[in-house]
Amino acid sequence: MKIIRVTFVLIMIFVLAGCANLKAVRDYAGESAKLSAYTELTTRFRDTYKREQPYLFGEADQLAQENDRRRKAAYEDLMKIHQRVSLYMQALATLAGENAFDLSKEIDSLSGVIKAYPDFGIDSKHVDAVAGIAKVIAKWITSDYQERAVRDMVREGNEPLQKTLQGMEALVRCYKKTNENERKTVLGFFEVEIPFTDSPKEKLLNVLARAHVEAKTVEYKNVELKYGEAEKGIRSIADGHKKLLESIDRLSSEEVKTIISNFAKDIKTIRENLQKIRG
Amino acid sequence: MALANQKQVEDFADIISECADSIHVRLMKAIKNKEIDQYTAQLIFQDEAMLRQRANSLYIDAVNCIVDGLSQSQKSITELIDTAKGKIKTIKKIAGFIDFIADLLVLAAAAYAAKTAPILAALEEIRKDVEALNKN
Repeated sequence: MKIIRVTFVLIMIFVLAGCANLKAVRDYAGESAKLSAYTELTTRFRDTYKREQPYLFGEADQLAQENDRRRKAAYEDLMKIHQRVSLYMQALATLAGENAFDLSKEIDSLSGVIKAYPDFGIDSKHVDAVAGIAKVIAKWITSDYQERAVRDMVREGNEPLQKTLQGMEALVRCYKKTNENERKTVLGFFEVEIPFTDSPKEKLLNVLARAHVEAKTVEYKNVELKYGEAEKGIRSIADGHKKLLESIDRLSSEEVKTIISNFAKDIKTIRENLQKIRG
Repeated sequence: MALANQKQVEDFADIISECADSIHVRLMKAIKNKEIDQYTAQLIFQDEAMLRQRANSLYIDAVNCIVDGLSQSQKSITELIDTAKGKIKTIKKIAGFIDFIADLLVLAAAAYAAKTAPILAALEEIRKDVEALNKN
């Protein structure tokens, strides 16, 4: 009787062990959480005035100061949007994580305890045998629980996430257009002024101005790449999540794993490209 | 705001930006052909810069529209994050429960052998487990 009871307890506990193979989901969500191009560009958007201020005068400068104030006011909310997406992805990665539903440590200590007390009336051979069978069953049951938790999150999360990502794409577009006006204000200033510095007396000024334009042109070119990469990154996250939703019932199939893994790789590549861009 | 729709605001800002671009092209042509002096060129460029600031102001309006439009989605996402955290916590509770069972088994074994010291030690472990479980 005792052996049956202990065996039952053992099975119940070992059954809770094991974990689903959701590595692809985890990688995708993990990479998505790390993509920070949006925050960088949001900060750049906030700091627009700091960069264009030397080139603005009179009424244009007054308008720019008002814009500066409003951009700073919007900053916190803009950052929150990214923070939520990032937290969502972190939660999804944790939910799909290897350790989220893994109780093997606790089970090991429990079987250790049982083995250490021969008074229970079962020897270690029995414990191992029961653990062996239980682990197979555990794999089914916990895989199922974990997959279901991930499925629920992806299903319910898709709509608000897609909407948020669309919003972020639109925001990056507005940042980009703001940046274009900034570039045209800064470079346009030199374009207008340089032709009037062609006298021999102003040679030094002319050279300095042209050298400055050169540096600024490179700076803006690099930044423009960032907007493109950020948009690509946001779209990859959106497409990856859409794919997750579509294949929600086949998360463990090799084909789906490959597709989701590729999204994770794309996002990682985009992140690395962004790090390579200077300025 | 007369232009309530975010897309409309953005489109209008685009048009203003394009106007500034056209002014710039014309200005550069005038400078190249020496149609205007430096002072006039500076005045025209200031007008161009003002238009760009007007456009940028509209882009801020568009940005604020987008943020407002996302409030419901943001709320849903926050709720989902909390749900996920809850699920992970449940598992942690189960982990604590297994600790509890392990210690309970130690107690049973000690009681079976009727040894006082191990019984007291096991009881102390169980007390800690129960505390930990209640905390979650």
